[in-house]
Formats: sequence, structure tokens, C-alpha cells
Amino acid sequence: MKSYPDSTPALAIARRIFVRQTAVFSTGALIGIVLGLQPLDSVADNIKTIAFIPGIASDPFFKAMELGARSKAKELGINLMWQGSASDYSPQTQMPFVDAALASRVDAMILVPTDPDSLQAAVTRAEALKIPVITVDTTVTDQSYLTSHITGDNVDGGQKAAQTLAAQIGGAGKVFIMSGSPAATTNTLREKGFREEIAKYPKIEIVGREYANSQPATATSAINTALLKFPDLAGIFAITGTSGTGAVAALRNANRVGQVKLVGYDAYKVEVDALKEGVFTALIAQQPAKEAELALQYSYDKLLGKDVDTIKKTVVIPNIIITKDNLAETEKFMYVE
Amino acid sequence: MTKPTSDLLLQSRREVETRKQRIASFVLRQDFILFIIFIVMVGVFSAINPRFFSVAAAANILQDFSPVVLMATGQTFVIASRGIDLSVGSTLGLSGVTMALVIRTLNAAGLNPIATIVLGLAAALVVGGLIGLANGLLISYVRIVPFVATLATMGAAAGTSLVITGGVQIAGAPRAVILIGNVSYFGMLTAPVIVVLFILFIAWASLSRTRFGRWTYAIGSNLFAARAAGINVEKHLVKLYMLSGILSALAGAFVYFRLGSGSPLSGRGGELSAIAAAVIGGISLQGGVGRLTGATLGALITTAVLSGLILIGVAPNWQQIVVAMLIAVAVGVQGFGRGGRPGEQ
Repeated sequence: MKSYPDSTPALAIARRIFVRQTAVFSTGALIGIVLGLQPLDSVADNIKTIAFIPGIASDPFFKAMELGARSKAKELGINLMWQGSASDYSPQTQMPFVDAALASRVDAMILVPTDPDSLQAAVTRAEALKIPVITVDTTVTDQSYLTSHITGDNVDGGQKAAQTLAAQIGGAGKVFIMSGSPAATTNTLREKGFREEIAKYPKIEIVGREYANSQPATATSAINTALLKFPDLAGIFAITGTSGTGAVAALRNANRVGQVKLVGYDAYKVEVDALKEGVFTALIAQQPAKEAELALQYSYDKLLGKDVDTIKKTVVIPNIIITKDNLAETEKFMYVE
Repeated sequence: MTKPTSDLLLQSRREVETRKQRIASFVLRQDFILFIIFIVMVGVFSAINPRFFSVAAAANILQDFSPVVLMATGQTFVIASRGIDLSVGSTLGLSGVTMALVIRTLNAAGLNPIATIVLGLAAALVVGGLIGLANGLLISYVRIVPFVATLATMGAAAGTSLVITGGVQIAGAPRAVILIGNVSYFGMLTAPVIVVLFILFIAWASLSRTRFGRWTYAIGSNLFAARAAGINVEKHLVKLYMLSGILSALAGAFVYFRLGSGSPLSGRGGELSAIAAAVIGGISLQGGVGRLTGATLGALITTAVLSGLILIGVAPNWQQIVVAMLIAVAVGVQGFGRGGRPGEQ
């Protein structure tokens, strides 16, 4: 321990105590986390424990999924273990949670793989342990072991966004894509669907694409600059919720609300509010709660061995287009927070 | 009344320099070199895309620049004292969401917009001040090195942001917030930007012209001499970190006004932008050296260059590389100008 020339013996002792306390506390925390991940009522055989590992725990899309999962788990009497990385959507941060779930021998695992290849090994290990796996939203490369894969269709979402935006800008003009992350498959698939569909409109030109990386301020900057570069920009497709928030601020900043059509993805409350104000001209909504509920239902059926024939290998839950006009019917698809 | 020793030393050094030496030292000053780099950069970008040289472009850059320069200012004070503050980004985030939550609650309760905004702002500043206080106390009295102490508060603040927001963005602001953030004068100055420029001026005056600033440099250049000269180092360090925290909170408030909502992931990585701006600006990580004008120009260059790269069409994946090269060039020029050996500050 480096000693400071002006410290007193009392300080040195205090420092040693502090270091020891830190060590004890961290060990305790580590034990607590491991214990916390143990299924609680594992004594009773009929109460199943299912681990649900989202891509990232703090995203509103996954929050909505969590609420759906918890209510369904309560209804079915399942012990739900909801654990995921607090702020990083990446395989490295997701693996420890998957490892912990498998190590604590949960009865089934529902997973939102952050990468199709990196999480394949985890699925293989689950197979060796005879733990059923269901993937939600994204999936792994080899789906043969999976009980089911439930997803919203991101490519379809991108296509629907393209169709909606094209209709709103009159079939001609310049459009800009505001994406979230170059690595997230959800983002890349939506962009792919969008570009494929826009290619069908020869008079529409995609003039640029930038990444916001979950920071609305980055999106605002990028779009402000895009508006500067292309004063006649007709439409923007905001691929993620945070990009959408940034786009809203940018349009307000530049006083182009309504002139530039903005199609967003995911129906968070902030986005629906902005839609009502006319800043968003359309939102592509998924149904995260429904995906979670179905995943839990399928896991439950598989574990209890009943209604196994009704379990479909792949389920695609349709996207909903929310506009100001159809808000009366579609507002209920807003994600619960 | 005799002048403090530090004043006498400065005075005698100035008298010894010849006129030629003074011109030479001015030209080689980091902030002057940065100013030239900035002019050249604006020229190059404007030549490629004339839209860069416009009021609208300036407005955008000012909006990006403001939070960064606020954090860089706090960082300048802290680094000048031979410390570092890694928690500024997370403080920006936490104070922003705190402000958003307070404003949303008060707005829903029907309180009038002005009072709502003032109280929200106050809440943000309190959060920033508390985080700064925690940093200062950990560093001064528990004697944890600044890197580790602020690393801990960074994590705590970031985690708290996620906990109190549940990961969702916080909206629910009254119309006044959007007006404040977007109504601009002369096409490029919004009210928050004007406030930021004003704060910058006061910070510059404080660091370069007051005892508070001189004590900061003194602590950074020679801790034992500073203590021997009678400066209460512990109290001063606490004040410095609280200042950094409050400036970061103001940055968080700025981002809130700009976006009209609080996002829990806002500000992540902000500390790196702030430190980069300060280092480019000529602040030595060893402490005791560096001007606020340098940090301001450093922040201006890094934010303007990103805007410029988008305008001239450089792909996003290349933008980070360009910014990194810029940092290397700016710091390299600084080392060259000082004429020291490699590694010497």
C-alpha cells in the first residue's frame, strides 16, 4: 500500500479498513447475485422456473416485454427469472446471464439473442442439459433445437415503414434513414426491408444513413445536419425509439414539423404523444408483450407436456401501423411502461 | 499588504521576457494554434460544401458544442488541479432525467410552467452538486485517487439513472420547455446557448483572474508547496469537483431543453469528449497548466468536425477515426510547441 507522506497513522488504518470493507462487500455482492439467480421455490416440483433473458434490460421495448412476461407468469404460476444486461446490447454482456441461468438449472430458458452466432453455443449447452429454449425477437443461426421462435418481423416492419412513408411524401423525394446501431440485427433487418421496398419507387432517393447508438442527442445532430445538407428533404425513417426522439427534437429545432414526414418504430408513450402532436406521421408498432406471453405459454406447455401439438416452430407476430387517423383502434398497441 | 508569492513569481517572469520572446510564445500558444486549425477546418469544409459556412450550420454546431464545453470547463478546473473527473457523462444523464421526472410530475400536478422549469432545474443542479460533493469527499478525505473515485460515482450515477427511469425516456414537459430549447435569436442563439456562453465567460474569468483559479493551478503544479503556502487543499478540491458536477448538471439541463425529454442513456461517453476537448486545448494531465480558451476551442473543433464530416459525406464508420487522428495531431502540435522530449509535459 503506497503511503502518503502527510497521512497520519489513523488515516492509514482507516484506509486498510476501507479496503477490507470493500473486499467483503464485493464478495458479498457477488454471492448475493449468484444466490439471487437461484430459483426460489425449487423445492416444489410443480412450480417451474423459467429464465427470460432480454437483449438489454433498460430498453422500453424490453420493459414492455417484461410486463407482459410477468403478468403471464403470474397467471400460469411460473417463477420468472428476468435477468439481462442493464445498459449494453451485446453478446459479451449477455453471456454471463445465460451462463448463470443454465448453471442454476432453470426448467426452461427464453432468450433474446444479441448475436445469432455467439449465442449458438449457449443453445447447444442448454440442449445438453435438456433445457428447452425459446428465442424471442432475434434468433440463433441453427434453430433445430429450439422449441419455438417468436418474433415481430423486422424486415416486414421496414417494408411497411417504406410503404407508409412513400405514400405520405407522394411517391417522390429525398428520404433519410436514422438508424440505431450498425450491429443490432433488428436495426439492420428493418433497414434492409426499408431499402428493398423503397427501391420500388424510382422517384424516391435515400440520401443518407447515420447511427445514433441509443443517444437521442446524436440523432438530433445528425438529422439537423441532414436537413442542412438537403433543404428539400421529404421524409425520415427513424429505426429505433431513441433515434425517433432525436428526430422529433431536430424537426422542432428546424421548424419543419409536418413538412418532413417522420416514420418511427416502436410505440413508446413519448412517441405516441409526439404522433398525436403531428411530429411523427406514423409509427410501426411491434407487440412485445404478446411475444413474451406466447413464449411463456409455449414454455409452460412444453414443460408440462400438454398441448404440445399447438406449439408452432416459428411464430411471426404482425406489426401494426399507427397513424393519427387510425389512433382510435391502434392506441391500445402502445407499449405499457 | 504583500502580494501572495504566486503573484510575485508571475510578475517577475513577465518582466524577464523580451518582446520577441513574447510574440513567439503567443504564436506557439496552444489556443492560438487551435484557432488557426479551426479556421483552416472551416475553410476546408466550406470549400467542399458551402452549406457549412452558414448560420444554420453554426446553430447546429452550437447545440452540439454547448454540453461538451460545459463538461470540458469543469474538466479543465479539475485536471488543472492534477485530478480527473470521469463521472461527468453520467452526471449529465442523471441530472437530465431527474429534471425530466420533476418537471413531468409538477406539470401533471398543474403547477405553472415557469415554476415547474425552475424547480426542475434546481433539482438537476442539486443532483450535480451532490455527485460533485461525493467525488470531492472521496478524493479529499477518504484519499481515493480521483480516477477511481470518479469511476465509482460514474457507475453509481449511471445505474441510478436506469433505476429511477426504469429504462424509459421521460417526457411530459410543458410547451415552454420546447420553446426555450428551440426559439433562436439571430438564427443561431437559443436562450440556453446564450446562458452557456455567459457561464463560459465567468469560468474563464474565474480560472485566469481570481485567487480561486490560481489556487487550482497551484495545487496542480505542486501540492506540497500549495499546502505550505496556506491553501486548504481539501476544501478547494471539494469545491472543484462540486463545480464540475454542477457544470455537468447544466449540460444535462441543456440536453433536456434541446430534446424535450430525458433519456437515461444520455451523456454516456461524455467524459471522454470532455477530456479530449481539454487535452486538445492544451490542458496537461499532470496538472498546473492549461487555459480555458484552449478547452473551449478543443470542444469547438471536435464538435464542428463531426458536423462537417456528415455534411461532406464521410461514412459514419470513418468519423471516429478522423476525430482520433485530429486529437493526435492537436496534441502532437502541442508537444512540438513546448519543445520537450517525448513523454515530457
